[in-house]
Amino acid sequence: MLRRRVITVLTFVDGVLFRTKLFEPDYRYTLNFVDAWSVDEIVVLDVTRNPQADRTAFDGVVQNFARNCFVPLAAGGGIRELAHVRRYLDLGADKVVVNTGALERPELITEVARAHGSQCCVVSIDARRTDGRTGEGGYEVCSTFGGTPTGQDPVAWAREAVDRGAGEIMITAIEHDGALSGYDLELCRRVADAVPVPVLICGGAGNWKHFLSGFEDGGADAVCTTNIYHFTETSIQSAKAFLAKNGVPVRVSQ
Amino acid sequence: MNVAVVDYKLSNLTCVRAAIDRLGHDSTVAARPEDLDGADRIVLPGVGAFGDAMANLRGAGMVEALDEAVNSKGTPFLGICLGAQLICKDSDEYGTHEGLGWADAHVRRLEPGTATLRIPHTGWDDVEAQGDSELFTDVPDDALFYYTHSHAIHANDTSIVRGTCDYGAPFAAVLKVGENIHATQFHPEKSQKFGLAMLGNFLERCG
Repeated sequence: MLRRRVITVLTFVDGVLFRTKLFEPDYRYTLNFVDAWSVDEIVVLDVTRNPQADRTAFDGVVQNFARNCFVPLAAGGGIRELAHVRRYLDLGADKVVVNTGALERPELITEVARAHGSQCCVVSIDARRTDGRTGEGGYEVCSTFGGTPTGQDPVAWAREAVDRGAGEIMITAIEHDGALSGYDLELCRRVADAVPVPVLICGGAGNWKHFLSGFEDGGADAVCTTNIYHFTETSIQSAKAFLAKNGVPVRVSQ
Repeated sequence: MNVAVVDYKLSNLTCVRAAIDRLGHDSTVAARPEDLDGADRIVLPGVGAFGDAMANLRGAGMVEALDEAVNSKGTPFLGICLGAQLICKDSDEYGTHEGLGWADAHVRRLEPGTATLRIPHTGWDDVEAQGDSELFTDVPDDALFYYTHSHAIHANDTSIVRGTCDYGAPFAAVLKVGENIHATQFHPEKSQKFGLAMLGNFLERCG
């Protein structure tokens, strides 16, 4: 039976682990705090906003994880063309995460899927509630680090992304990011009901119960955590034991 | 020991080589036929589309070179994910494509038959061992492995199947063809300690 996944998502600026609550950069934990034996998958994202920035520091991050963590590794940030995908794969990523690049040029998704297979292409969607302003579904996709509203409905965009070859959809509710108050379950459920590929829920996990509701109410195939304070050392293992006790099939440490 | 990791310009060699390195063995990249000369083990990793992979192998003269090394010389071989599929007769991924044809098996799109089972089959899942394979030495029955694929292997010759997984319907997860050809649909190099154990078994116990 396929197990549900618990994924650690790490964001970096100029190669430094970037923490969304405390803005002070800190190298110390970049590798060691990830409980590499318990986590099912690692996603590393370069969220350096300056397009001219030197990305070699982040390259080192990808390489480091690829060499030391024998779990699936996805990398993203700044992908606009196939050459960028190839670079991440050469550094040791198994799959890539595309977001703004796919919104700007949706053919990118098909190019990645045709060259490296659908399983290699994760499309990340950042969405915020529209409060009735725009977007039929009450949500709107935002590009460029969540800062640029596109007017697109996340469900429609997820469907299109899958039609174009996306192998997984990662859905993040912008307002929930870093809030630790739980995921936006409604948003995830809508996307999960609309597409046949695995859906990763991201943004807002603050405790184990949030993981459980991400699976049970959000319909997610994988739950993501970005907060490194609450999920360090053995806590992924404990979270999984909690999930297993509550009937979610997960991989508990063997 | 010289472990040749075949490069066909689509695949992620870095992880496979990192895992081999972690197990204390050296690896080299084999992109040309002569790179297989003197190989003690050959690993064909896999990320990408079947048709493109075969086209690239053919274009580099690697189809004949692999056949010579594996089938004539008997060099122990491990195919991983797409690399496992490539040893089959054909695949229906983006059209019909002929494979290396070493295994009497076909690659077909996963059809789990229920909307709750999503495609690609992505994540940690079981392997039910069947028959003998050195790969399973010291690997517990309940060990989980990382799969990520939309197509799966169905063997005509069931005697080559050494492990199965079930995703709506059973498919071949581990193959052993003859004495030296091994293949896994999952990624041992991404499956933590039991994946590394299995890769170690291939390097140290096979051949």
